[in-house]
Amino acid sequence: MIRIDNLRFSYPDSMFRLEIEELVIGAAERVAVIGPSGSGKTTLLNLIAGVDIAEHGSVTIDDTQISQLTDSARREYRIEQIGLVFQTFELLDYLTVLDNILLPLRIGANKQLTPEYQARAKDLAGFVGMQDKLDRHPAQLSQGERQRVAVSRALLLEPKLLLADEPTGNLDPGNKHIVLELLQSYATEHSATLVTVTHDQSFLSSFDRVLDFASVNQANSA
Amino acid sequence: MRGVFYLAWRYLTWHRFKTSVLVGAISLVLFLPSGLQLLINRTAEDMTARAIATPLLLGSRGSPVELALNSLYFSEDYPSQLDYLELDRLNETGLVDAIPLYIRYRARGHAIVGTSLDYFTFRGLEIADGRPLVELGEAVLGGAVAQELGLSVGDSVISSPETLFDLAGVYPLKMTIVGVLATSHSNDDQAIFVDLKTAWIINGLGHGHQDLNKTAAANVVLTTSDEQVVANASLVNYNEITSDNRDSFHFHGDLSDYPLTAVLPIAVDRKSATLLQGRYLDHPTLQLIEPVKVMDELLATVFAVQRYVLFAIAMVAAATAAVVVLVFMLSLRLRRGELLTMTRLGGARWAITSLIAAEIIIVLIMAATVAALLNLALVLWGDTLLNSLVLRS
Repeated sequence: MIRIDNLRFSYPDSMFRLEIEELVIGAAERVAVIGPSGSGKTTLLNLIAGVDIAEHGSVTIDDTQISQLTDSARREYRIEQIGLVFQTFELLDYLTVLDNILLPLRIGANKQLTPEYQARAKDLAGFVGMQDKLDRHPAQLSQGERQRVAVSRALLLEPKLLLADEPTGNLDPGNKHIVLELLQSYATEHSATLVTVTHDQSFLSSFDRVLDFASVNQANSA
Repeated sequence: MRGVFYLAWRYLTWHRFKTSVLVGAISLVLFLPSGLQLLINRTAEDMTARAIATPLLLGSRGSPVELALNSLYFSEDYPSQLDYLELDRLNETGLVDAIPLYIRYRARGHAIVGTSLDYFTFRGLEIADGRPLVELGEAVLGGAVAQELGLSVGDSVISSPETLFDLAGVYPLKMTIVGVLATSHSNDDQAIFVDLKTAWIINGLGHGHQDLNKTAAANVVLTTSDEQVVANASLVNYNEITSDNRDSFHFHGDLSDYPLTAVLPIAVDRKSATLLQGRYLDHPTLQLIEPVKVMDELLATVFAVQRYVLFAIAMVAAATAAVVVLVFMLSLRLRRGELLTMTRLGGARWAITSLIAAEIIIVLIMAATVAALLNLALVLWGDTLLNSLVLRS
C-alpha cells in the first residue's frame, strides 16, 4: 500500500508546485494516472520511488517511510522493491538485451548475479517475446521490443510495486497493447501494485482505478 | 564490484575506436620515455663496445668523429684519405700490426669495406657459408646483408655509382659473392667485404681491358711506342672480374700513393700503443685517435640532447593527460542520461562512481600493457631496429 500525507514539493527555480493532502493506493491495486502535461504525474512517481524527496509530508510504502530513508537506503529500497518503466525505455546502448535485463544486479542490488538470476532474465525475455534476441543491442531493436526489454528489467527482482511513466507513449497501437498487458498480467499474478502514468484513454478500462491528477494536485486548483 | 568492471569493459569494447585512441595515446606517452632511454642505452652500449674493441685508429687530420663513424660503423660520410704508404710506415715501427680500411663505396645501400684478411681475425668474424676472400673481384657479405638482399654464395653484387649523373665517375663493378659471414650482432653484419685492391678497382685506380697486343684489338690502338700503347674510346673495359679476365687487371702508378680512409693499428702491447700515440701527437697531416674517447664525447652530446627530448616528451605527456581528462569529462557529459537512468533505477552511488573509475583503470591497464609489450619488443628486437635505423645511417 502507498500512502501520501500532506505532501508539498517544488523544483528550485520553477513555478511548478505539487501539493497532495492525502492519497492512498491499495496493495495490488492497478491505478492509471491521467492529467495534462506539467500537472505533476511524473513528479508523483519520482516521489513515490524516492528519486525526489518532498519538502513536507510523507510518502509511505507498506511500512517504510521513503522520505525518512538515507540516500543509499532509498536507492537500495528502490532497486529491490520497485520496478520502474520509462517512456523512453532508458536502455544502455552498449549492453545486450540480456545484460540490460540484468543491469539492476550489476549496479547495486544486494543480490549476487547467480545462474538462477541469469535463468530468470532469460525467462523474462521469453515472457516478453524476446528470447531469440538476447544478444542484440538496443539499436537493433524496434521501439516496442525496447520497451519490452525495459519491462523485463523492471520485473527482474520481482518488485511489489511497479511504476510506469507513460510506458506506451512511444509505441504503436499493437505494442501499446502488448506492453500494458505485460505490466498488468505481472501485477495480477504477483499481487503487485501498478501505478501507470498515461495519456492513452483507450486502455483506462483495464485499470482498477483512474486517478485524474488535475484534481489530486491541489496546487493546481489553488 | 565485478558487475561494475563488466559494465565498464562492455562500454569500452562497444566504443572501440574511442578506446583504441585513448589506449594508443596513453601507451605512447608511457612507452616513449622508457623506449627512448632503452634505445639510447643500447645504442650507447653497442657503439661503446665497438669503440672499446678498437683501441686506436689512424686517419687524416680532420673530424675524429667522422673518422670513427666511418671506420667503425661504416657511415656514408667518409673522412679525408691517407696514402697506403702510411700503413707501411706503421708496420715498419714494429709497434703494431696495421690493417687497412677503405670504406668509401656502397652497394644497394650497404658499405663496401675494402680491407685485408687480418680484419676478419681482428673482429673475430667467422664464415658461415662459402670461403674467405682469395681473388680480386670477390666479396664476402655480412649476415644481415645476405638476408636482407636475399643473396648467397655464387650470386653477385654490383657497386653503386657515387652519384647518378657523374658520367666521369667510377663505374659499377660486379663482384662475385664467395662467402657469407656468421651473424656477429655488430655493424659488420651490415657490410660487404672486399679485398683492398678490389676497392681500388671500384675507385678506378685499377682496371682490366682487352689485350692491346692481340690482333683482335688492332682497330682500337691509336699509337704504339716502347713505353706505352694509346687506345681510342672504343676499348672494352671489364666491369666484372672473372677467371678469364682476372690477369688483365692491373694498377697504374705507385701503390704506396693509393688511398685509404683509415688504418687500424693493432698494438702488440699497451706500451707500444702509448709510444705510437706519442709519435702522432703533433703529426701535421695525420691523427691517431682513441675511438672510445671520441665516442664518449659524442655520446655525451647525445645524452644532453636526450634530456631535452625527455623534457619535450614530458610536456607532450602532460598535454595528453589533460586531453584524456577532457575526453573523460566530455564523455561523462554525454553519458549523463545513462548515469541518471542508473540513479533512477536505484544504482548505488559507489557503483556509478566505480563504473567511471573502472573504465579509467581498464584504459590505464591496457595502455600500460601495450607500453610494456612495446618495451619488450624493443628489448627483443632492439638490435635489429638499431641496425636498420641507427647504425646504418
